[in-house]
Amino acid sequence: MIRPGIPAAVKVDRLEKTLGKNHVLRGISFEAAAGEIFGLLGPNGAGKTTTLRVVCTLLAPDRGSVDILGFNTRLAPQEVRRRVGVVTAEIGVYPRLSARENVSYFAELSGVVEGDLNKKVDAVIERLDMGEFSKQRAESLSSGQKQKVAIARAIVHDPPVLMFDEPTSNLDVLASREIREFMVESKGRGKCVIFSTHVLHDAERLCDRVTIIHRGQVVASGPTAEVRGNYVDLEDSFMHLVGAA
Amino acid sequence: MSPIAIVFKKEMLEILRDRRTLFAIGFAALASPIVLTVISQVATRSATQTYLVGYSGDVPAGLDILMNSTGLSLRPVSDPAAAAKKQVDIGLSFTPSGVDEYYDPTRSSAQIAQVRLQSVLGTYDAAKVAATLQQKGIDPGVLHPLPVTVHPLSSPVKAAGNAFLSFFLPYILITMCMTGGLSAALDASAGERERKTLESLLLTPAPRTQLLVGKILAVSTVSFLAAAVAIGSILFALQRLKLGSGGLDLHIGLSPLAATVMVWLAILLAASFSSLTIALGTLARSFRQGQAYVTPLYFITIFPASVVLFIPDFNPNLAYYLIPILNAVLVLRDAIVHSSVAWPALGVTTASLVATGALSWYAALRLFTREALLVKS
Repeated sequence: MIRPGIPAAVKVDRLEKTLGKNHVLRGISFEAAAGEIFGLLGPNGAGKTTTLRVVCTLLAPDRGSVDILGFNTRLAPQEVRRRVGVVTAEIGVYPRLSARENVSYFAELSGVVEGDLNKKVDAVIERLDMGEFSKQRAESLSSGQKQKVAIARAIVHDPPVLMFDEPTSNLDVLASREIREFMVESKGRGKCVIFSTHVLHDAERLCDRVTIIHRGQVVASGPTAEVRGNYVDLEDSFMHLVGAA
Repeated sequence: MSPIAIVFKKEMLEILRDRRTLFAIGFAALASPIVLTVISQVATRSATQTYLVGYSGDVPAGLDILMNSTGLSLRPVSDPAAAAKKQVDIGLSFTPSGVDEYYDPTRSSAQIAQVRLQSVLGTYDAAKVAATLQQKGIDPGVLHPLPVTVHPLSSPVKAAGNAFLSFFLPYILITMCMTGGLSAALDASAGERERKTLESLLLTPAPRTQLLVGKILAVSTVSFLAAAVAIGSILFALQRLKLGSGGLDLHIGLSPLAATVMVWLAILLAASFSSLTIALGTLARSFRQGQAYVTPLYFITIFPASVVLFIPDFNPNLAYYLIPILNAVLVLRDAIVHSSVAWPALGVTTASLVATGALSWYAALRLFTREALLVKS
């Protein structure tokens, strides 16, 4: 539970989803607040990505509900999309557009008005230190630079909720570190940051609260220290929880 | 700016930077005029070429002059039948009772020589008959009791040119409307999945219908431009080509009506094909898979375009104009050959192509918004 008095920016309630013959989500519930990094943890195949896809309206839930800042994903999907930015491990960019053109395209589609467009794109390019390669075509960028483009396009419309789905899985040490720093900075700006990962070491360092899911079900939820309990680290705790599940 | 305009602008920018699409349009602009120039050169060479006629016996007086003047060169041989197999194009054995002709129909040079020889022999016979009648004091006009004077209502040269265009232009129009935007269509659909940009695109608040319309508009524009460039270059080339031994100047051109009908059909075909290829591309997970899905479409579309070639006098009832592509071929053929339009036929054709485009667009939208698109990618 979020600390009393702090409203939930993201509220997920008894979410269920079946894909093909797989019952992927079996009643997932959690809440995340503004100004915190919330960890959605679990092994590969646990249902983390599916959960995030339902939360950001890419998939419709079979049962249960998701509310983002008071907007229900079923009833007002476009309002939800205006308020979220998603960064995934798959850093697909348009290769024949420059880094700046990639970001501008998503800014325009996200509703940034023409008068603010250049200002907002410039701001995000400066914030992510992309000036050096912003005019280069995306096809010539490194993985780390492409990941910065992916982050820039996700945050250019200044969404209050940011979701990171395994954002460092294809990156080197330096680029991964920059992503982690960016998440901390976003938390400082009052954003609700949801960090989905199977790297529990990262989660332990960054997350204020975590929810661990396994086989589509929540096996533990709460402040990071509380979930770790008396174990050496979150990984030990996780192994214990999964073993118990 | 609306999402449709934003997507259109971005897709056009990407297309203009895509060498594959630019190559397709450039190829369309150059290929047809080059092919036509080669055809023109070959036709001119065939018309001016001299063919060998091997003969034995005595050549009737005057016939040798006629043959030489029509590009048939006489050469004495011992066995005309044997020589006609390879050594010469045609063999003649002149005997007191007439002439025996030998030629091999499997050789195209022999066929051309044979046609020329028949024409020469016909002229020779007519001249001989006329001379004999005159010697006997009879007017050669008795051979033509009903003299006919032909008054063509339009230029036979122009008619021949229109007949050529009535097959060639619909074929090019359909081919280019489909292939001109093919690369762009697959890039805008299967390409989004392949390079993992689809999820980010669908995460924007822009309505998916508008995203799709923007893509289809961009691909339609490229298809239309490819068709316009190809046909424009063909007409430009035809204006300057000369065919035949006399350098026959065809001056082939389109009437304003035919040009207007063609532009209208090009818009409808480009929109329909773009929706269809984007729908098929959306089914695919990669550009290459998309190409595999679209290839059969090429053969399906070319078949109706060939109808005019194989059945030039095909004049179907109105129901046939419901068949997409065939209807465009027929309407365009009539507009080119007769410089007229049957408005009911054009109306049915328009309705049919609009319905085809709308169904394809609906299919593309359903495919574009299905969850499996993301889950399987």
